[in-house]
Amino acid sequence: MLNELLLRLAEWLDSQAWSTDLHESYYLYNWIEATHVLTLMVFLGMLFVIDLRMLGWIFRDVPASIISKRLEIPMFIGFSIMVITGFLLYYAIPVRTTQSIWFRIKVVLLIAAGINALLFRNAMQSPVNHWDADPVAPKRFRIGAILSLGLWTGVVASGRTIAYDWFDCHQDMARFLYWAAGCVNELAELD
Amino acid sequence: MDVLFLFEWLDTSLLAQISKSSGGVFAAVQTVHLGAMALLGGMLLVSDLRLLNVLMKDVPVQVVMENTRNWITIALVAMILSGIFMASAVAIKLYYNMFFWSKMAGLVMGLIFFYGIKTPLIRGDEFNTLNPWILRLVAIASLTIWFSVAASGRWIGFS
Repeated sequence: MLNELLLRLAEWLDSQAWSTDLHESYYLYNWIEATHVLTLMVFLGMLFVIDLRMLGWIFRDVPASIISKRLEIPMFIGFSIMVITGFLLYYAIPVRTTQSIWFRIKVVLLIAAGINALLFRNAMQSPVNHWDADPVAPKRFRIGAILSLGLWTGVVASGRTIAYDWFDCHQDMARFLYWAAGCVNELAELD
Repeated sequence: MDVLFLFEWLDTSLLAQISKSSGGVFAAVQTVHLGAMALLGGMLLVSDLRLLNVLMKDVPVQVVMENTRNWITIALVAMILSGIFMASAVAIKLYYNMFFWSKMAGLVMGLIFFYGIKTPLIRGDEFNTLNPWILRLVAIASLTIWFSVAASGRWIGFS
């Protein structure tokens, strides 16, 4: 059901002239992709600094809250541009992207990373924060930092692999993979 | 001096055999390359924006530089090693690619600038007597060089 809905939405986006124009525009598409990667560097770079501080691997003498607060704005700017350019990249190639198992993994990891970041941020801003000046954050923050690093590495890796056609719908695959990739037509043929 | 022979050697090396035949390994190395780029970008942005007095104004410049320096070195090593592996898959094509050479020129310039100018300047005894505008110019030059490296690197894939 969800797969059908997503495919219909993707086909509707694909039928729009702007989607085709964007896909066929050599310079615009490439500039959007380049901006996506460059802003990923800004966002992820700032996130690395915060996570490494939690692990006590950098800025051990600077309170964690200072690092977190000072890097919040550039991180947010990087994230916002990354999301906008990411949506435009999806808009340019909606059907194939919707049916990419890697894109789906990326979205799931993004949601998980977002929830982790939200929990992390709320806990950081808690008024009972006795460890702020400690060189290493308490265990649960270190776990959060490791999770964050792992999830974002997964986002980058799955983002990179969208370009590969290993599990595209035209491949001969197991039923589960057809379902996971949202290959609606191929699943219907199997039935 | 023509360095085509180096690219021809790389094109037939064991690295090239692996990078050309294993898409999974290539994608994993690409992820390392991107991660290292993000690490490098983050550390450079933090240090250069601090020099520009835009970010982390309440942390001394030298503290920021000391903390980011080792991570910049780690990121550069990871980026160069993963870059050589990725280059082995398309070595001859890269030799004839203008953006590749633009990236390499930027990378060499960035390395010389970081280890030869920026780091000694900030670690030197005269740091406290330096005109703030010199520090700002150093930061702008650093950001420009590294942006050109990243942008031309991205454009290699499109050309």
